[in-house]
Amino acid sequence: MTGELIYEVKNVSKRYGSVVALDGASLKLHAGEVIGLVGDNGAGKSTLVKVLSGAHKPDGGQIFLDGVERVWESPRGALEAGVETLYQDSSLAAHLTVSENVFLGREKFKSGFLGWLGFLDRKTMIREAQEDLEKVGIAFPSANRPVSQLSGGQRQAVAIGRAVSWASKVIILDEPTNHLGARQAGEVLQVIRAAKAKGLGVIFISHTLPHVLQVTDRIVVLRLGRIVKDTPTSEYNVDTLLGTITGAIQTIKVEGD
Amino acid sequence: MKRSVRSLAVLGAVAAVALTISGCASSTTATPTATTEKQLTIAFVMGAESDPFFQAMKVGAEEEAAAQNVKLVWQGDPSHYDVATEVPIVESVIASKPDGLVLIPTDPDGLQASSDKAVAAGIVVANVDTHTTDTSKAVIFITGDNADGGAKAADAIAAKIGYKDGESYDVVVGLTSATATTNVGRLDGFKAQVAAKYPGIKIQDVAYSASNPQTANSNVSNWLTKYPNLKGIFAIDGTNASGAAAALQAKNLVGKIALVGYDAYPANVALIKAGVFTALIAQDPAEEARQAIKAIVNKIRNNEDPAAHDVVIPNVTLDANTSAADLAKYTYVAN
Amino acid sequence: MTDSKQATGVAPRSFNWKPLVTNQSSILVFVIFVLAAVFTVYSGGKFWDIAVFNNILTDWGLVVLLAVGQTFVVISGGIDLSVGSTVSLSGVVAGVVMVNWMHLDLSVSNEAAIAPLLLALLICVLTGIAVGLVNAFLVNTVNIVPFIATLATLGGAAGLAIIWSGGMPLQGPNFYGLVNPIVLGGVSLSPFSFIVLVSTITVLIAGLFLHRARFGLYTYAIGSNAFAAKAAGINVKRHLTWVYAVSGALSGLAGMYAYTRLGSGSPSSGAGFELQAIAAVVIGGTSLMGGSGKMVGTLLGAFLLYEVQSGLLMVGMDPNWKQVIVAFMIAGAVGVQGFNFSQRRK
Repeated sequence: MTGELIYEVKNVSKRYGSVVALDGASLKLHAGEVIGLVGDNGAGKSTLVKVLSGAHKPDGGQIFLDGVERVWESPRGALEAGVETLYQDSSLAAHLTVSENVFLGREKFKSGFLGWLGFLDRKTMIREAQEDLEKVGIAFPSANRPVSQLSGGQRQAVAIGRAVSWASKVIILDEPTNHLGARQAGEVLQVIRAAKAKGLGVIFISHTLPHVLQVTDRIVVLRLGRIVKDTPTSEYNVDTLLGTITGAIQTIKVEGD
Repeated sequence: MKRSVRSLAVLGAVAAVALTISGCASSTTATPTATTEKQLTIAFVMGAESDPFFQAMKVGAEEEAAAQNVKLVWQGDPSHYDVATEVPIVESVIASKPDGLVLIPTDPDGLQASSDKAVAAGIVVANVDTHTTDTSKAVIFITGDNADGGAKAADAIAAKIGYKDGESYDVVVGLTSATATTNVGRLDGFKAQVAAKYPGIKIQDVAYSASNPQTANSNVSNWLTKYPNLKGIFAIDGTNASGAAAALQAKNLVGKIALVGYDAYPANVALIKAGVFTALIAQDPAEEARQAIKAIVNKIRNNEDPAAHDVVIPNVTLDANTSAADLAKYTYVAN
Repeated sequence: MTDSKQATGVAPRSFNWKPLVTNQSSILVFVIFVLAAVFTVYSGGKFWDIAVFNNILTDWGLVVLLAVGQTFVVISGGIDLSVGSTVSLSGVVAGVVMVNWMHLDLSVSNEAAIAPLLLALLICVLTGIAVGLVNAFLVNTVNIVPFIATLATLGGAAGLAIIWSGGMPLQGPNFYGLVNPIVLGGVSLSPFSFIVLVSTITVLIAGLFLHRARFGLYTYAIGSNAFAAKAAGINVKRHLTWVYAVSGALSGLAGMYAYTRLGSGSPSSGAGFELQAIAAVVIGGTSLMGGSGKMVGTLLGAFLLYEVQSGLLMVGMDPNWKQVIVAFMIAGAVGVQGFNFSQRRK
């Protein structure tokens, strides 16, 4: 089911001013594996996401992709290496169209001199965005509509679709089912399963514990910037998971293997 | 005089009062014997220090200061002609205890308190160009004459267009703003002279340029379209003069329309020879400064009051007939 | 394949009036024509004259250059208050070089002035870029919000313009023919003068880059959601540096336009034009919040601004009322923007 180790962070820490957001967190992600990253508010999940995605540089610790140590100077590095991230609430530029968002940062240009000047091949991008999203299971009316005209669920679908269609190694999804109804959330979980089947590594952050239990292979619990437990999902049910997150159930820090 | 300003706070109160100055004003610095002259410090404080009018004034001030063994202090906000920026500057100058203060108040009431405070501190005060409401404690008030300038402009235009009674002539006037007292004074003088001597001249329109020569240029271009029989333009300050001159040159109307401007910018003086300007009304800010310094020095060193408390320095009309020497003399020079 | 018509829920055949009526550009075109009619009637026919149109375009040509740069800046989520001062400063620097250093004066005129004018153009644009880079530095590195940063450069540039010019215009070489309608083979291309043509071409090229090139796309993206842009791998700071540099360069170009009109570099040539530029952008429908706007809107907004100012002069209205009317125009433009926005939210 799970393949080789593709993404690893060792002992990463990050502080913002005097606030310690991450304090020596370590994580291993394998190909075709879905890890659920859970923790209470302020546990450091979003910070860990930003370190993994290249949005923020850690103060200490190391990052390895395919066994090679990497330093992400900006999200660009991680994206080019095949790590796609869906952030909470703010992945899309609302004024731009669906296809512009899908291709943001990776535009296709016209050929020749015009392309050199930066003129875009919008027709191709609209067509391909439509196809890519459909391939991932997202039906789309027209990729040429501004995202602001879409409902919350549709926007999330676009953001996820974008991440999945570009990802070649790792997808990180930060609260992808927020603001979604039950049916749409179910579709997101389907997408996660599809990504797993494709051999990608998936990190799935969610507050909705039943979802975490449904799609993940392993669950990593974060508390106060530290990973306090890292074990297979099969060891949990909703109550024990909740207890572990809040600290009601005592944990000993265990290295996942 | 041109004011390149962001905001103007002007209450135009004009009251010229001639009184003698009380002797106590000169107690701290006067030396009874004039044999060994101590160097005096005289400060000039103004608004919009970069205004070419004041730049030209500075040249005269520096000449006179050198001649009289005076140390000159020159202060003012670089570009704001504003009570709010002038008062703090005056206050700090007063605290530095100069022997004399030449004040160009941006507002007659706003600067009264500072002026009185200076006098009370034993500083001899003069007003130049504009004045505080009550100048009784100042040793002298020297100014150019805006109304006279406006009247001279009317004369120049009438002469150029060959004014004849019974005929009708269209003219327009470009101002910087509706409220700048210099602008208003000049326009009033212009209108009065026209009413008195040239009733055939019709002021068809007036427009404001807010100190921007591009806007002045635009106004003139529009007028040239609107009034095909336009005979004369009175550009009431330097920026209007620049804008109007360019518009006439662009449309090849040089010499065909009488253009009278104000303030002797070197650029515009050069255009008199080229026939673009019929005349430029020049003030003599350098002379105003010289007389102010003379009056203060005289008061301090000799305890003498000036012959007249209010002095009006006449404007000079620079035109094609002006000698090269005079042109050079009255052109505003910057350092 | 999903049926697009079902998904949008709008019957495709019946004509949808709403976007046409609330579309800012359509409204502007309509207003421009209505006002032209009104001004013509109230000026006794004087407004409807090619010479008047010529004057309007000459004014439009200067401010539209500033407004084009401002369009990019505002769409990116910022604002550039320094553009007027840059116009003044660039003209002054060109004047200093030509008049004080090279001793060229107004006697160099017509065709002979073309070479020095080209030099002046280069100087103006470089000066503008320099100011733009200062703005970018303040915004990106010192982390000052654009309003305050560009307010500072507004003051700095205006001050330098006054200092270096001695407070007076520097009169140098000029070719006034560039300001008048082009005559080609005996046919007048009125109302297009050379400088107006330059402005028109600039607007068109800028519009292409805004709407069809990656530079424009990134500008919209950053204005819409700077975090999402960064997360997508866009170097936001580097792009914003380009945006402010472009605004500066266009301000420099406008400085050259102003010089050509006046025959001199004046320290107050740009005074107040930053507000006209912003007004044109807002009237054109670009939102000051960033992320949206069209170049054609800016083109029309600037045109409307000068149609009104010229028209009011032609009908003889009190010039103080002009201020009031322009203020109402801006308020109305923002009002339509707000209405459009609330419609979309539904």
